[in-house]
Amino acid sequence: MSKLFALALGILTAIGGFVDIGDLVTNAVVGSRFGLGLVWVTILGVVGICVYANMAGRVAAVSGRATFEIIRERLGARAGMANLVASFLINLLTMCAEIGGVALVFQLVTGISPLLWIPLAGFGVWIVVWRAKFSALENATGLLGLGLIAFSVAIFLLHPNWGQLGEQLIPRIPVTEDPSTYWYYAVGLFGAAMTPYEVFFFSSGGIEEKWTAKSIGTMRANVFVGFPLGGILSISIAVCATIVLLPQAIAVTSLSQVALPVIQAGGTIAFAFLVVGMAAAVFGAALETTLSSGYTIAQYFGWSWGKFRRPAKAARFHLVMLAGLIIAVIVLMTGVDPIAVTEFSVVFSAIALPLTYIPILIVSNDRGYMGRFVNGRVSNALGIVFLVVILVASIAAIPLMIISGAGQ
Amino acid sequence: MILSDLMRNDVLDPSGDRIGRVIDIRLRLEGVQDPSVARVVGLVVSPRSAASFLGYERSDLTRPVLLAGLLRWMHRGSFLVPWSDVLRIDSREVRLRPGYRRESAADPA
Repeated sequence: MSKLFALALGILTAIGGFVDIGDLVTNAVVGSRFGLGLVWVTILGVVGICVYANMAGRVAAVSGRATFEIIRERLGARAGMANLVASFLINLLTMCAEIGGVALVFQLVTGISPLLWIPLAGFGVWIVVWRAKFSALENATGLLGLGLIAFSVAIFLLHPNWGQLGEQLIPRIPVTEDPSTYWYYAVGLFGAAMTPYEVFFFSSGGIEEKWTAKSIGTMRANVFVGFPLGGILSISIAVCATIVLLPQAIAVTSLSQVALPVIQAGGTIAFAFLVVGMAAAVFGAALETTLSSGYTIAQYFGWSWGKFRRPAKAARFHLVMLAGLIIAVIVLMTGVDPIAVTEFSVVFSAIALPLTYIPILIVSNDRGYMGRFVNGRVSNALGIVFLVVILVASIAAIPLMIISGAGQ
Repeated sequence: MILSDLMRNDVLDPSGDRIGRVIDIRLRLEGVQDPSVARVVGLVVSPRSAASFLGYERSDLTRPVLLAGLLRWMHRGSFLVPWSDVLRIDSREVRLRPGYRRESAADPA
């Protein structure tokens, strides 16, 4: 019974923890501008994160090594360092987006400017990564994040014209939008679904929770059941925006537009669920990105890391996270728009993805690490398909950003 | 000297012609004592690319087939020079002895 409970808990937290500020904003923006014409990208990204997390989780469980320990071992000190710098900076950008997102959720509820919430959000994240137990922070944010089901429920309450909605699923570029803009947002949505920190966190979390080869079954259930259901929440955000925002040409400039369809559909009660879900999901992602900043650097340099150690036993790990948080808060206090930061962060996530994906793909085939748990044929076939997709998205991102004027 | 100083150095044959670059240093763990001793077997030299072999020099690492094929193709013509055939190491160059041996770069281990 307790085994079943643990399995269900894992899957539920995987669902509730799937969505972050990148998914919230990008799906709403895309839904309000392109309807459902980009849903295929979210589906592609969700399949991609399943393939990727399954490999990284298996490597963590079998070899006991997390992503950046692998990168250091396989790429060597110098190439590994270049990889670390790029991955850390892009994770820091995502961290800014998530902390800004926490401030935006509080703005949505209180009407008080996000600038006043940012230091508090940063402090809140710090105190939780300092004090809370790993399983507690993961389960609490994951379960409360299930409040985002409000998006899925809202679709039904809005009584959309299902036929019309179905027709929209066919990928096409609206006449009002430039093709470069369409593809720019395609890259952004892909980066939102397949964000590198999710995998740093997932594989390091596996080591925090002391996975062994016996944990592979549970890990797979989390990935192949939890992530796709989380992906449905993500798509629900785009569907809500398509039904309500697109016809009225409402642009997404803050979280109030993201929430608007849910409020219109379900009133105060739906809004209450939504706010709890958004706050938990975004705060959870802020914790995950903060932990990831510590994981990446500490794993590369071989410092002791992890929430399973007392902070005094992993002092440098905690120091990196504190420094990262301070930088993120300072960046946000300059008054940059957290929504704009989010839109950039998902695109840069797509750019950085090959850096961590390729070493994991290689090591998950290495019998020296994996023994009999190396990738099977299906994993490798999908692994190669996504390698190509990830490389194309990564290479195309900057040119598309320039041509489309960052999606203007 | 640390091994990183050797990586990516040019490799010159006895007549001074450049024949490739050091892409890896092959070590062998010896002895039963703990910790065992690592001995340098030789230098892996690639004539075409200074990029890493990423582990695909080991003959038991063959998947994913496309990636293994790509890396082996990039490093085609790679060979292992035994450490005893190294004449001199300068700051940027490694010079080999006359009659140096070219052994297979594939690592059966």
